[in-house]
Amino acid sequence: MRYLLISICFIFFGCASFPKKNNFVATTVTSNISNPYFANPNQDYIYKANIEVYDNAFGGIFIVKKIGDQHHRIVFTTEMGNKLFDFTFNKDDFTVNYILDDLNKKILINVLKKDFKVLITEHLIAEKTYAIAYKIIKKTSLDNKTYYYFESPEIRKIIRANSHKEKVRFLFTNLNDNIAQHIEIIHSNIKLKINLKSITK
Amino acid sequence: MRKLVYILFFTVFATQAQTQMSTQEAAALKTKVKALASTTQTISSDFIQYKHLDFLDNDIETSGKLAFKAPDLVKWEYLDPFKYAVLFKDETLFINDEGNKSNVDIGSNKMFKQLNKLIISSVKGDMFDEAEFTIEYFHKDKTAWFILCRETKNSPNTFKLFILHSTQKEMLLK
Repeated sequence: MRYLLISICFIFFGCASFPKKNNFVATTVTSNISNPYFANPNQDYIYKANIEVYDNAFGGIFIVKKIGDQHHRIVFTTEMGNKLFDFTFNKDDFTVNYILDDLNKKILINVLKKDFKVLITEHLIAEKTYAIAYKIIKKTSLDNKTYYYFESPEIRKIIRANSHKEKVRFLFTNLNDNIAQHIEIIHSNIKLKINLKSITK
Repeated sequence: MRKLVYILFFTVFATQAQTQMSTQEAAALKTKVKALASTTQTISSDFIQYKHLDFLDNDIETSGKLAFKAPDLVKWEYLDPFKYAVLFKDETLFINDEGNKSNVDIGSNKMFKQLNKLIISSVKGDMFDEAEFTIEYFHKDKTAWFILCRETKNSPNTFKLFILHSTQKEMLLK
């Protein structure tokens, strides 16, 4: 009987939804989501990047440019300037303009595409709003995935989660004039961590 | 990297219009550079790298120090806006990325191999390989210009254009 109770508790907590597990308190929706970090078309966004993937670590320069409404170009080069990949996001279209043969893996491209789309998507509809401590958390969907935006009031954290569990965490720190000087993208289901430090002048 | 142009400034830049050198002038310059390079044991120089991407408003500017020791040791060190150094030694590229050290076997990496060759041959004054480059020589006031163009039709990841210029007095080496 005792084991049954433990099992039931385990199932109950194990299956609790992501907001419930994290003690989010539902509130009324106040406004939609506006992400300002790559939204200025007059700004060249340049970051020094470090990527840890499984047991490999490598660096490079991560470049983002907004070239129109819902239209961004993202390029990653080595520190010395050789291009590693070059992507275009234009509304729902995604184009690989170039990718080094060694990196040309469908799985990798899909992971990067999903992560970068979060960085550059400016306007999202808040489907539900929660509160915890002094933060407002807005639940939204992007390409059929669920995201939670943590605002205080700037966006400091974004979490992609399935119904129960965190999958990817985006952290924005050292915010300065709508530029996140430091961005971390941490995956919890695969060993992948992307660390971006702004070198924008 | 099709549209990417690397401009490596080893010395100062001039502002006046350029004129093409005569064949004799170009030959004399070539001899002079080769003679100087053959007696050079070490070089150290500051550099500024401007990386141009069509869709950006401004070139990405990075700067640092270049060191060369004969016959083929090259250290390329970025100091601003980040610290990153690469040392080419034999077939290995040693990397120091803000304290994180690693190395790459360039024997199997065409891109690094080409970069290494280009840097070594240019600092040694040994880049007048007309089979590999289409070479044009220009004057610019008291500055001698070398412009080396490379065929890159089917290779988007190689250098399209390599421009090197220096004052005649300083001649390649600072």
